[in-house]
Amino acid sequence: MDGRNSSVQSIALPELHMPDFKEEIQKRVAALQLSPTREVEIVEELSQHLDDQYEQSLSRGATEEEAYGAALTGLAESDLLARELKRVERRVQHEPLTLGNERTNLLGDLSQDLRYGMRMLLKNPGFTIVAIIALALGIGSNTAIFSVVNTVLLRPLPYKDPDRLVMVWEDNSKQGFPRDTPAAANYIDWRDQNHVFEGMAAMVEISFNLTSAGEPERIDGHRVSANLCSLLSVEPQLGRAFLPEEDIPGANQVVIMSHGLWQRRFGADPAIIGKPINLNGESFTVVGVMPRGFQFPTRADQLWIPIAFDAKEAGQRGNHYLEVIARLKPGITLQRAQAEMTTIAGRLEQQYPKTNASIGAVVTPLHEQVVGDIKPALLILLGAVAFVLLIACANVANLLLARAAVRQKEIALRLAVGASRSRLMRQFLTESVLLSVFGGAVGLFLSLAGLDLLKRFIPPNISHAEAATIDAKVLSFTVLVSLVTGLIFGIAPATQAANFNLNDTLKESGRDPGSGGNRIRGLLVISEVAVSFVLLIGAGLLINSFMRLRNVDPGFRPEKLLTMKIVLPEVRYPDRATRSAFYTELIRQVETVPGVKSAAVATSLPLTDTGNSIGISIEGRPDPGPDHVPIVITRIVSSRYFETMGIPLLKGRVFTEQDRAESTGVVVVSEITARRLWPGEDPIGKRISGWSTDPQRKWVQIIGVVKDVRQFGLAADPKLQIYLPYEQARFFEPRALIVRTDVDPMSLATMVRRTVWEIDKDQPVSDISSMEEIVSQSVARQRFSTLLLGVFASLALLLAAVGIYGVMSYSVAQRTHEIGIRIALGAQRSDVLKMTVGEGLRLVSTGLVIGLAGALILTRLMSSLLFGVSANDPTTFITISVILVSVAVLASYVPALRATRVDPMFALRYQ
Amino acid sequence: MLDRELKKGSAELLILSLVDDRPRHGYDIGQLIELRSRGVLRFNVASLYPLLYRLEGRGWIRGRWVERAGQRRRRYYRITPTGRKVLAAQRDGWQEFVGAINRVTGIAHA
Repeated sequence: MDGRNSSVQSIALPELHMPDFKEEIQKRVAALQLSPTREVEIVEELSQHLDDQYEQSLSRGATEEEAYGAALTGLAESDLLARELKRVERRVQHEPLTLGNERTNLLGDLSQDLRYGMRMLLKNPGFTIVAIIALALGIGSNTAIFSVVNTVLLRPLPYKDPDRLVMVWEDNSKQGFPRDTPAAANYIDWRDQNHVFEGMAAMVEISFNLTSAGEPERIDGHRVSANLCSLLSVEPQLGRAFLPEEDIPGANQVVIMSHGLWQRRFGADPAIIGKPINLNGESFTVVGVMPRGFQFPTRADQLWIPIAFDAKEAGQRGNHYLEVIARLKPGITLQRAQAEMTTIAGRLEQQYPKTNASIGAVVTPLHEQVVGDIKPALLILLGAVAFVLLIACANVANLLLARAAVRQKEIALRLAVGASRSRLMRQFLTESVLLSVFGGAVGLFLSLAGLDLLKRFIPPNISHAEAATIDAKVLSFTVLVSLVTGLIFGIAPATQAANFNLNDTLKESGRDPGSGGNRIRGLLVISEVAVSFVLLIGAGLLINSFMRLRNVDPGFRPEKLLTMKIVLPEVRYPDRATRSAFYTELIRQVETVPGVKSAAVATSLPLTDTGNSIGISIEGRPDPGPDHVPIVITRIVSSRYFETMGIPLLKGRVFTEQDRAESTGVVVVSEITARRLWPGEDPIGKRISGWSTDPQRKWVQIIGVVKDVRQFGLAADPKLQIYLPYEQARFFEPRALIVRTDVDPMSLATMVRRTVWEIDKDQPVSDISSMEEIVSQSVARQRFSTLLLGVFASLALLLAAVGIYGVMSYSVAQRTHEIGIRIALGAQRSDVLKMTVGEGLRLVSTGLVIGLAGALILTRLMSSLLFGVSANDPTTFITISVILVSVAVLASYVPALRATRVDPMFALRYQ
Repeated sequence: MLDRELKKGSAELLILSLVDDRPRHGYDIGQLIELRSRGVLRFNVASLYPLLYRLEGRGWIRGRWVERAGQRRRRYYRITPTGRKVLAAQRDGWQEFVGAINRVTGIAHA
C-alpha cells in the first residue's frame, strides 16, 4: 500500500473500506474485447487513479460516501471511457505487430504454432493415434473411391477431342429396345446422308481362332470401318491403319493387333508388319500394331480387321448387329446431331416401311456409353465415403473438445502472458490441421492398399477401371480434403478455446468446463448417429437386394457345371455335316471322362449375353405385322442340354438323338413362352416358324415345355425363349460346351480340354469357367456396390460407436461428483445406470429421428440399385434402427457401468 | 470551465508540457493540470487516460510501470524525442494562435 498512508492505516483503517473501483472500470471496458493483459493494465492504472482521488477527498474531510461519489463522477458519463478508449486502443494493441514486417510475423507465428502443435501431439500419443486412425480411415476411403471415380467418370477418354465422339443407335422403343444396334443398310444411309458428323464408323464383334505361333487360341476382336483409327485420332504404334481400299470384300485380308497380343504372342517382333498370320483358318497380313493401352471398343479386343460389307450385307435392314461411332463436326451440338439423325431416320421410315417402321435414331455421348450404369453406384459410394469422413471429423472434434477442457490451464496461462484470442484460435486450428494432414498421409497409404483390394471387386466390364491410380488429381483431392477436414473438425474446439473466460477459470477451480462444450458434444453425437443411420440404411437395402438377387432361381442348377467356349472356324468346318460330326464326337468323348455325368453344347450360356433373338410366326394365326411379331430368344442345343443344365421339363418331352437333320423339325419352348403365346391352350403339337409370309416356309413342332431360365442376369425377368436341336438348326452355331460333373468341375478342365484337342489339335478352347463363377460374375456389379457400401457403413457404425462411447465416458467422468452425491443420498446403482444409459439413448434417438428423415430422402437416389426391395423397406429400417440402438446402448453402457462403481467418499473428496 | 473543444485541442499540449521536465503518473498529471490552471481545467479519468494512450500510441510519450519500495507500482509517462519536437512545434503554434486571438480581440498586449 501507499507509503504515505501506512501511518494512518492503524487508526482510521480507511483502506479496509476502500471501495473496489476495479469492477466499475472493468464493466466499462469489457465491451472493447481488449487483449487480456492490456485490459488488466488499464484497469489497474485507472483504479489507482480513483483510489488516489478517493483518498484525497477523505483527507480533505469528506465522508466515505462523498469521496466515493466524487471519485465516480469521472466515470459518470457511462460510455465515455469506452468510447474514448476505443478510438485509441486498437492502435496500441497492434503496435507490437507492426514493429516488424507483418508477413514475417505471420509466418513466424505459423512455424511456432506448428512446432508447438507437434509437441502437443507427441505429448498425447494415445489421443493422437486414435484421431489419426479415424481420420486416415475417413480420408483413405475417400481417396480410394475418388481415384476410381476420377478414372472412370472424370478422366477424359484417351482420344483427341473425346467430347465430340458419340455413339449412334437405332431407336426401336416399340419393341423395347430404345438403343438398338443398327442394321448395315441403315448405317450406310446415315453415314452418307448426314451433315453433322466428321466421320462415322461401324463395328461388329468377331472372334478369331488364332493358330499361328503356338497353341490355338481364341481371340476377341472387331470388324471395323477402315476410318476407325482416324475417327478416334489414334495411330498404330507400328505399321499403319487400314486403307479405304481394304474396306472391300476380297481386299480385307489384313489385320491390326493390340500391343498386348503382339508382345505376348509374337515376342514384340518389330518385323511382324507384312507377315501373314492364320485366323479362322485363313491367312491375314499384319499391317499394324496399336499402342499400349488402346482398348476399343472393349478391353478384350485384340484383333481388328476391315468390316468390308458385301453387297448382301450392305443391303439388309432386318438384322441389327452393328455398333456405330461417329465424330461430331466442330461446333455441332449433340442436339443438332440428334435432330438431323431423327430427320434421316424419319425419311428411311417412309422409304422402307416394311423394315424401318418405327425405327428412329439416337445419338449418345461415347463417354456415357463407356461409363454405363456404374455411375449411380460410384456416386453413391462417393457420397458414402464423404459421410464416413464426416463422422470421423465429428469424432476427432469430440476428442479435441474434451482435450480443450483439459487444456484450460494452458489456455489461461497463454492468455495471461499476452496471447490474443485470435492467436489462440489460430494455434488450435493449426493443431487440428496438423492432425488431419497426418491423417491424410496415413490415409493415402491405406488407400493405396485399399485400391488394390477395390480393383478385385470392380466389375470387369467397367472400362479403364483397372487403370485407377493415385495421380496428381487424386493427390490434390486428398490434400484438399485433409485441409478442409482439419478446419471443419477444428472449428468447434478452436472457437471454444477462443471464447474461454479467463476470469471464470480463475474464480472457479476449473472443474466444470462449461455447458457449451457439452452441448456441442451432444450435437456431434446426434449428427454422427444420423449420418451413420443413413449409411446403414443404404447398406442394409443393398444387402437385402443382393440376398434376394442371389436367391433368385436362375432356372437351372449352376453347381458342378463346367463350361468353355469352342468356336469352330468356318474354313475348317464349312458345312453342317462336319460340324455336327465334331459336336457329336466331342460330347461322346467328354462323357467318357471320369467324373463327367453328361455333356451338351449350346449357342450361348444363360446370364452371359443376349443370345440370338428371332421373330416367329404361329401356324394358323394371321401375320401380326412387323411391330407385333413375337420376338423369342433362340438357343440351339444338343439333346442332353436340359439334363446337363438341370432345367426341369414341365410338359411333353425334350430332344433325343432321334431328332436328326432329316427328321421332323421340333422345338422346345419355355414356360413363359407357352403362357404368353398360347394362353389357356396346350402348346404341345402346335407349329411355329421363323417370321415369314412365305407359304413354303418350314414349320417346327412344339414337343415340350421347360422351366424359364434367366438369360440377362438374375435381376431381369425371363424373356420368351425357344430351344432348337443343333442338328436341325440352320442359322446359329453352338459355341459353348457344358459339362455336368460329379466332382469339382474345375478339376476336370484340363482333361476336357485335352479331349477337345484329341479330336482337333488346332481347335482353340477359351473362357473355361464353372457355371457358379458365371452366376457370380453376373452379379459382380451388385456385389461391388453392396460390399463397399457395407464396408463403409460398418466403418461409420464403428466410428459412431467410438464417438458415443467417448462422449458418454467424458460425461460420466465429469459428473463423478454428482453421481457420488446421488449414491451417497441413497440412489440405487441401477438408477445411476438407467440415468446414464438414458442420457446416451436420448442423444441416439434424436440422431435416429433425423437420420430417418435423411434416409427416407436419400435412399430414393439409390432405387436404381435395388432389387426386390423398396427404397423405404420397413424391415430394413426397423432392423437397422435396432442394430444402431443396440450398438449405442452398448457404447454408453460401459461408461455407465463405470459410473455405478463411483465410490461416494472418493467422489466427494475428489473435488 | 473552458469550452470543451478548445480544451481538447490544447490537451495534448498540456500533457506534453507536464511530462517534459520529468516523468509523471496519470493522477499526478491530472492534479497538476487542475492545480496550475487553478481549477479552470480539469480532466476526469474517462478522458485523461484515453488521451495518454493516444499520445503513447503516436510515440510522443512513453509509459512505464515503476515499482518503488513500499509503494504499489505506478505507470510513469515520460516524453520521447519525437514528443519533444512536437511539443516545441505546438508551443510555437499555440503562442502564435493566442497572439493572433489577442491581437484581433484587443484583449491585452503582453
